Parts: sequence; C-alpha cells; structure tokens
Amino acid sequence: MPKDIFVFVELKEGTVRKVSLELLSKGKEIAGHFSSTLYAVLIGHNVKGIAETIQPYSDKVIVVDNEGLADYRWDTYTGVFEGLLKKYNPYAVLGGSTVTGKDFFPRLAARFSGAIISDAVGIDFHDSGVKIKKPLFGGKVISWITCSEDSVIFITFRPNSFGVEKGSLNGEIIEEQFEAAKDPKINMVGAEKHVSEKVDLQEADFIICGGRGMKGPEHFQILEEIAGIMGGRVGASRAVVDSKWREYEDQVGKSGKTVSPKLYIGCGISGALHHTMGMDTSKVIVAINKDPNAPIFHYADYGIVDDAFAILPVLQEALKKTREEI
Amino acid sequence: MNILIFIKQVADTEARIIIKGDQKSLEIENKYNMNFFDEFAVEEAIRIKEKNKDTQITVCTIGSQKAVEALRTAIAMGADRAFLLDGSKAAANDPLSISRILAAFAKKEGFDMILCGRQAIDDESANVGVMASELLGIPHVSAILKMEVVDGNTVKVENEIEGGRGIFEVKLPALFTTQKGLNEPRVPLITGVMKAMKASIPVIDPATLDIPQETLAAGASKITILSYESPQERPPVKIVEGETPEEKVKNLVKALKEDAKVL
Repeated sequence: MPKDIFVFVELKEGTVRKVSLELLSKGKEIAGHFSSTLYAVLIGHNVKGIAETIQPYSDKVIVVDNEGLADYRWDTYTGVFEGLLKKYNPYAVLGGSTVTGKDFFPRLAARFSGAIISDAVGIDFHDSGVKIKKPLFGGKVISWITCSEDSVIFITFRPNSFGVEKGSLNGEIIEEQFEAAKDPKINMVGAEKHVSEKVDLQEADFIICGGRGMKGPEHFQILEEIAGIMGGRVGASRAVVDSKWREYEDQVGKSGKTVSPKLYIGCGISGALHHTMGMDTSKVIVAINKDPNAPIFHYADYGIVDDAFAILPVLQEALKKTREEI
Repeated sequence: MNILIFIKQVADTEARIIIKGDQKSLEIENKYNMNFFDEFAVEEAIRIKEKNKDTQITVCTIGSQKAVEALRTAIAMGADRAFLLDGSKAAANDPLSISRILAAFAKKEGFDMILCGRQAIDDESANVGVMASELLGIPHVSAILKMEVVDGNTVKVENEIEGGRGIFEVKLPALFTTQKGLNEPRVPLITGVMKAMKASIPVIDPATLDIPQETLAAGASKITILSYESPQERPPVKIVEGETPEEKVKNLVKALKEDAKVL
C-alpha cells in the first residue's frame, strides 16, 4: 500500500499558516521517498481561493468546505477527518504543534487508536518507515522514535522545524463533502480574538526577548519597534510576565511558548533554565546583558556585555539600515 | 460533584539527566515534582469544593511507587483521596496505552468532571488528557483559563484558542485541561501536609481494570524509543568586542550578516 502523507492545513485570518507550508515542504520530500501522494487537507468555509494557493505545494488538495467548519472545533474537525482517513487511508498525518494541533491531534489519534508523537522537531527514514526526532526534558535530551505501522501515525511538529521550499507542483483540487456534526454537549457561547497584526510568536523568524533587566513595562516599547523593523515578535521571560509587564502569550520558556526563530536576541535576561528551555532550539542566539557571568551567555552564539539601554537604540538604527539595504 | 484529577510526577526542570551508554535509557537525578500544569487542576478542584462542600476530589496517577509523593502533594493541597495506578504492571506506555488505563480507571470510579494539566513538562506531549476524553466519549476543552460551575450539570469555561479566548458552555461529564492563568495554586499548609503523610493511598494494578489485557503488553505501544542523544552543543559564546555601544553593535551586525548569515 502506498505510504500517502496527509498535511492538516491550518489557517490564520484567511491565509495558510507558515507551519503548514513547512510541513507541506517536508511532506513532499517524504512522499517523494515513498513514491506516494502528498495530500494537503484544507477544512473551512469559503476556502476554495485558499486551496489554489497551496496547489504548488501538494500532489493533491482535499477541500472540505461548509458553513459548519468556518471555525476550528475538535468535534466537527475530528468528524470530517474521520471520514477522510477512512476513505484515503494515509500512512501519516502531519500537523503543527500549535494551540489547535494540540487540541485536535490527540482526539483524532484516540479515535483511530493510532500512534501519536507531538511537539517533534525532525523526521528521517528508518527501515521501511520513518523515525521522529523529539526533544525531551526541555531540550536536555533528544529522542528518536519509531511508530508501529498497523494504524495511522499522527505527528505534530514545532513551527520553524523545517524550511519552506518554493512550490513546484500543481496539485489537483478534490472537493469532499462530510457532515460536520457538533457535539450537542459543548456550546461555544463566544470568542475574543485579539485583532493583531503581529506574527505568531512560535512562527516568528525573529524574536527579541526582554527580561527583568528591562526594568519596567515602558521599556518594552523599543523592543516592539525593533521587532517591527524585523517583522518579528517581542517575547518575555517568566519574571516579566509574573510582574504583569507583558501578557502571558508573550512568555517564552518552560511554562510558556517554545520557540525556535532564526534569530533570537535576549535583552536583560539572566538565562534561567526555565527560559532557555523554551528558546535553545533557536538557530542563532544573541545575548545582551551587563553581567558577564549571566548564565544566558552559556546558551548564546554572540554576546554583548553592556547595558541593554545603551545598546538597544544603536541596534535599532543598525537593524533599520540592514532592512533598507534589502 | 465528583472531580477526578489526572496528575503526573515529572523530573524537576533542574534535575540532571544522563543518557546511559546504550543510548536507550536515561538516568534521572532524584528530584521530582508534580507537573507544573497539574497544580492548576488541583487548585481549581479545591476552589470548586470551597464553594460547594458536597464535592469529592480524587487524584490519580500512573507511575512507580515514587509517584505517591506527587499524590501526597495533591492531598496536602486539599484533595480528598488518591490512587496510584501501578505503572510497573503495564509495559505499554505510549500515550494511547496510558489514556486507556486512565479512562478505564475513571469509568470504574465514576466522575462528573475530569481535570488535568494541559501538558506534562517532561515530554510536552499534551496528549493523554484529550485522548482519555475521546476514549470515554465525553467532550473536552483544553487549556482553560477560567471556570465557573453554573449548576451540577453545566460548566462555563474560557480557554486559549488560536489568537484569543473561546468561551464554552459544557454539559458534564466532561474533561478540562488546565493552563497557567487559571488560578494561583496554593502552597500546602502544615496541617495539610500532616494529613497527606497519614493518608493511605491504594495501589491499583491496571490489569484489574476493564481493559483488554493485550493492550497492556509491551507490544501494544504504538511508539518505540529508538535512541536518546545529547542536544548538539553550541560553540562557546563569542563576546562581541568594542569600546563603545556603537562599535559593539557594528561588530555584532557584521557577524550576524557575514558569519551567521541571519540578517
């Protein structure tokens, strides 16, 4: 039986999330290895236009479009996927280790008595199948895991685990109809969405983080400005969030978000273990701290030993210039 | 109201972890705690009981004898009783097998509500709670930030959804996973600690629960650890030199552009 790959395509404000494009890019490589088919699975309402944008990344695009699927709910989405998995019988289903992915994939895996590996960061071939790379204990240990192949394999990956390759396919769009039955025991009575232009913290390529060394919430303004220049996001340490200088959604670390941007800059962050556990998979780490003995320097690629307040305005100007050069 | 809480004992974030020579097993320093996110679950249950005395709080975990410590912590905080599901009797230990055992225990004990942390901080998997709710055929809401018991049958919760908060009314029985921000977990009082030390904690063999025995055997695990390895170490930090902030920044930007190639 061919080892077909499903990628669950996540949307954010009407566009495809970067993590989904990363998974489609990796999925193409996996399906190529197995000479199988890569399916992008898009669920929602009025998403046919979006389906066209992912055609270049997939062998086939399955679209399930109806009013009841406008917003993610585990009950409706699991119902739709149940129908799809029974019909297409893929080898593996890939998704992002996101708020939605963490809610959806375990529900689906339990329904199918499948193998589930979540928060993975890599995948490789092993015997006739795959092996999955997953950090444990906040990145202190890396594990390689295999899955039994007697049922579907469900895997969620941390955003920024793979690059996005330029799409060269032209996947055929297949429209499917499945009932989106709501569980009557659960009723969504409202939602508050932050209207935010900001990129998702976990998907950001650039993160500048402030710690207690930033001395107060008002000093995060310059970090916001630098993040704006770089098209990235501001993050915060636990101490900063606990002091209510920043929202919890900004927290990077063990009890917050795990991030792996291309470039991470820590300002006035000492580098306590619970913080570094959430950022040590960043590609390049820069630390700015006036204390040369701050533990963050053990995790950093580059360090500046100086007062963050002296460095940041200069850094802002310098980064602005690099952006203008592009 | 019967509240059941699933907790997990996890290695402290500061614990030293050594990969053994065969790369197939780990040696973990003897520093363990109740999982960070489970504390919010225990606290929320206690708050519900404080408003409605007619509430019973039961905690359970799957683990070795050692995990009794985490159960005692929950009792010290205010849980009424605890059960240890003996992990050494179940060779299968992937998320599906663990969820099956927890679901079978829940079915046997009965419950109106199940609470557990949104994920364990050792493997960050966030699977077992939601999977158990599916196996039990009950609804779930993950990462809850606010909970209000409307009546004996209905709970109103707010949770973390992509880009904001969702508000749900849920008919019990249901399962909720707890997120930081839900409450401030209490530090046990000395009287609670005394009570916890004296509490008898029954040990249950998973094989006595209503689960097909073959699903407990090692072969039932859907996933297998091939090997452990140490994370790739970063080279030592390069401290960017310079007399002034301007010089330091100039040298940093140059390095990020030319060596690291991230600008």
